Amino acid sequence: MAGSASLTITGLHAGYGAVRVLEDVGLTVAPGETVALLGTNGNGKSTLMHCVMGLVRPSQGSIRATLDGQEIDLIGHSPEEIVELGIVLVPEGRRLFPLLSVEENLLLGAWRAAARPKRLANLEFCYDCFPRLKERRRQATGTMSGGEQQMVALARAIMAEPRLLLVDEPSVGLAPLLVARTMDKIAELQRRLGLTVLMAEQNFPQAVRIADRGYVLVHGRIEYAAASAAELNENQLVRNLYFGS
Amino acid sequence: MDPELALLVNAIISGLLLGSLYAAAAAGLAISFGMLDIVNIAHPALVVLGAFAVVVVSGGLGLDPLLSAVLLAPGFWLLGAGIYTAYHHFFERRGDQALHGLAFFFGVMFIIEVGLVMVFGADQRYVDPSYASITYYFGDIDLPLRMLVPGASALATIGALALYLRTTFTGRAIAAVAQDPEALRLLAIDPVRIKRFAFGISVALAGLAGGALVVVQPIDPWSGHVFIGRVFAIVIMGGMASLSGCVLAALAFGVAENVTAAFYGPSWSPAVAFGALLLVLAFRPQGLFGRAA
Repeated sequence: MAGSASLTITGLHAGYGAVRVLEDVGLTVAPGETVALLGTNGNGKSTLMHCVMGLVRPSQGSIRATLDGQEIDLIGHSPEEIVELGIVLVPEGRRLFPLLSVEENLLLGAWRAAARPKRLANLEFCYDCFPRLKERRRQATGTMSGGEQQMVALARAIMAEPRLLLVDEPSVGLAPLLVARTMDKIAELQRRLGLTVLMAEQNFPQAVRIADRGYVLVHGRIEYAAASAAELNENQLVRNLYFGS
Repeated sequence: MDPELALLVNAIISGLLLGSLYAAAAAGLAISFGMLDIVNIAHPALVVLGAFAVVVVSGGLGLDPLLSAVLLAPGFWLLGAGIYTAYHHFFERRGDQALHGLAFFFGVMFIIEVGLVMVFGADQRYVDPSYASITYYFGDIDLPLRMLVPGASALATIGALALYLRTTFTGRAIAAVAQDPEALRLLAIDPVRIKRFAFGISVALAGLAGGALVVVQPIDPWSGHVFIGRVFAIVIMGGMASLSGCVLAALAFGVAENVTAAFYGPSWSPAVAFGALLLVLAFRPQGLFGRAA
């Protein structure tokens, strides 16, 4: 599943009608890296994710992915085409199919042409990673707890054999202990599958725990780019935003 | 056998046969209304259109009516895909589907009915398959092939479809598409394509049900009207998106109607059947087989 995947965004502007959400955003995610996109609510993290996935059309700028040495301009492609390339988003709020069972949700993840033939092996892998899901595979996901649903959402994305995994606010609606576990799982998946990960998150301490590097997005602009997790921890802007000191 | 008991057993058996016919008429709606959230009020009219097409094809080519219905199914699939494309383009895409979409399907219904009257006139039509006059007798129990063959074919078709929906990628996508179309896109699945394909299946099922219907009883362009209330009630009672629930509800409807008709007169049967629907909804609002979210 590995293979190298990277993402380069430059000069990205995007918005909804007259509302400008992203202004001149640039960031890179190198192969095998876990990069955190930090920011509080309403600063444009989800919009950026949606731009990469083709759900929002940017007004300016470029989004380029390099997959196994081949560079592809993502702008103008439909979400379906972008997923087919191996770029997969775990959306904010999980977006499961609540009436379908765990296993039905997971198998839908394997729709992608490259993932279909490997669906049984990948299902095994997911159940190995999330034993709870194996116990509950016949249960409708709408009746599960938030933490379990987040596991299904992550596993469903893994079923698509991602090369570049985007995770949008995995901590939303979860108790602190479950946030920590979810982060550990993302780190475990990254390690075991050799993924390249871009994660939008407002839970700064938890995100920094598993990230190699990070960007801080404020009012649609990258206000700070940190070359390491340690740098993020020490940055004054971050301290002001998150710790009020 | 005690005559009363024989009457009851016969009423139950013929109720089950009638119920399988209801299942045939409702199965397509369980897909369009139950799974895709498309209130296709024209579904019974499409069943009747199927019945007329079967009359023409089986009469013209001298084919068995049910075989003719199978041969016509791809044409009905195309018709369904076309109807969905128009519905999507003019209403669903703009978020106008709730009221305008309903009006659209009313329009489709009237166009079909008026079209049938213009082409075929208002007279009743029927087919005469080779087995129409054969009835098996087991003691006091009658099994007319005119009911048994279409009923059994309908149940077999629905069973095959249920298997398809449960075991294939497309089947699972059909079950998911109304719940969150955008989430499907994020899995590389085009929701519009899925809905078009599924709506085609639902209309193909209407065509097949038409073949079954015209074997059982003569039809005229308005025969669909008596089914509108029933098929929607059956889909709701069966739990919307469940084909097995739809079949079970249809059989229950058929038995309730027939037993009531046998003992208390036919005028009571709709009251009892729809009363059963109210009871089911009171105690299991998600329907008999509905999945609680």
